[in-house]
Amino acid sequence: MAINIGPPQAEVRRAQGFALSFNQRRYLAAALLLLPVILLRLFTSFYPFAQTILLAFQEYNPAFPPREYVGLQNFYKLSTDMVVTSSVEFTLIFVFGSTLFQVVLGILVASLLNAKFRLRNLARTINLIPWAIPMVVAAVGWRWLFDGNYGMIPDLLSRIGIEYDWLIDPTGARIAVLIVSIWKSTPFVAVTLLAGLQGVPEELYEAAKVDGANALQSFWRITIPLIMPLMVTIGMYMLVWQLAVFDLPFTMTAGGPGFATSVLAYKIYQEITTLNYGYASAISVVMFGIVGAIGALGLIVFRRVQLSL
Amino acid sequence: MRAFFRQRGGSIANYVGFVVFAFVVLFPFYWIVMSSFTPRFELFQVPPRYWPANPTLENYPNMIESIPFWEYYANSLIFAGGSTIVSVFASAMAGYALARLKFPGSNAVFFGLILSIALPQVALLVPMYEIFNTFGLNRTYHGLIILMSSLITPFTVWIMVSFVNQIPSEIEEAGYIDGANMFQVITRIVLPAMRPAIATMLIINFIISWNELLYPLVFASRNTKTLSVGLVSLGRASMGVSRPWDLMSALSVLMVIPVIILVIFGQRAIVSGLTRGAVK
Repeated sequence: MAINIGPPQAEVRRAQGFALSFNQRRYLAAALLLLPVILLRLFTSFYPFAQTILLAFQEYNPAFPPREYVGLQNFYKLSTDMVVTSSVEFTLIFVFGSTLFQVVLGILVASLLNAKFRLRNLARTINLIPWAIPMVVAAVGWRWLFDGNYGMIPDLLSRIGIEYDWLIDPTGARIAVLIVSIWKSTPFVAVTLLAGLQGVPEELYEAAKVDGANALQSFWRITIPLIMPLMVTIGMYMLVWQLAVFDLPFTMTAGGPGFATSVLAYKIYQEITTLNYGYASAISVVMFGIVGAIGALGLIVFRRVQLSL
Repeated sequence: MRAFFRQRGGSIANYVGFVVFAFVVLFPFYWIVMSSFTPRFELFQVPPRYWPANPTLENYPNMIESIPFWEYYANSLIFAGGSTIVSVFASAMAGYALARLKFPGSNAVFFGLILSIALPQVALLVPMYEIFNTFGLNRTYHGLIILMSSLITPFTVWIMVSFVNQIPSEIEEAGYIDGANMFQVITRIVLPAMRPAIATMLIINFIISWNELLYPLVFASRNTKTLSVGLVSLGRASMGVSRPWDLMSALSVLMVIPVIILVIFGQRAIVSGLTRGAVK
């Protein structure tokens, strides 16, 4: 720093002796205040991220020692691994499917939470419950609700003549996992969209009413366009965040039947438990790629939405 | 929105919507709570019963005997409590620095933190496990707390930054004018002003950590395992036959009670915290 500073400033500095300027003190304070968070993230996130990428090009299983670089071998292997390709497929279905329903239902729930009626506070409290309970509890409870012999859902359906064993059928199991994910996380989306609804000025609705718009029209023409950027943002957040969901398929279906409900996160976990560290890391790199692609997609959509406003 | 519903013929639509909504949200709880008071032989009947013929409390002591329940409960409290305190205070400091003490690169640090939310936990487990072995952190409380607090830190910093941005900077300037130094301004003026955000994030982060499965599953030993791992292991224990749903529902109820209490008493704080990230 001092090297780049020209003579005048250097003299000023010398004149001040060791007293730090206000800006210098500010930077020092900022560095100290940021230190814990930066250390935590470097240690548990950025460094392991770099390590994972290196590991992806290695044959590494601690039970079978020679650990060596094998180039793209892990990637060739995963491109022909049916469990991986099926997991990629279901990961995308899971992530896009749940996010779509969470955002659409979220805006409806948010409207209810924003409406002026006596039970509004109760509704807001109830809304938080699925978000607040552990995913393991939700997964276990719904697993039992869907149980082919003793579950409430197949029993109620059979009373109206539909005999269906959700968790035996691959498609049924996938739908069941999606339903749980939607049930669990729509409330979170609803709460964030509620913030957007509260930001829409009341006068706009009154003006629309004066102009003869009905409720549906003002919802489509005022509410939706105004909170569209927020919907895209939260949708992006849910897409990326739900890529990492592991506990739901792990607890509810263990990826089954077969590997129908295995997501990438679950497949990686399985490879880790069988000590295929190199292979697990290669699948992780595929996952980073999907995260990056969704992020890029999100940026494009976000630009569109903002331009159209 | 008020106009929206008034036009639709008063608030009847609201109440209908409320009933449907409450039913969809709550019926799984009915099934879990009811099952926890149903004796095992009744649970495994076809067709299923919607109300126990012989309600019982025996599932609870049975469950407590079949896993080290109190140990896991204490571990959950230590894990969630520790992660909450570390993450909230580290993030409050960082949030203040990023919002107020602008320095070259402060935006890059902020966006780097936010982007790191996108790194999936499970994809970093292998290097994490090796690092933890090197430092002797595997199977320890503090290792678990480091992992968990780091995981929830970016979101917490995000909320803190947007909160600090809403505090008028005049109150700090007044402090400096009165001759306070930076340390005094931060501890005497900024910290009290940030109290609502800190309280909110204490609640939210406690709930998130209490619910965590992956880290305790991978990095904990018997001495540090939490209730979520206990619930999973109950389901595993008798995979061959049918799952011990009587025990699992009892544990589920006990796991849910603390977070429901937090939700009931902290609803306003939680909603304001979760929405603050959204409005920015």
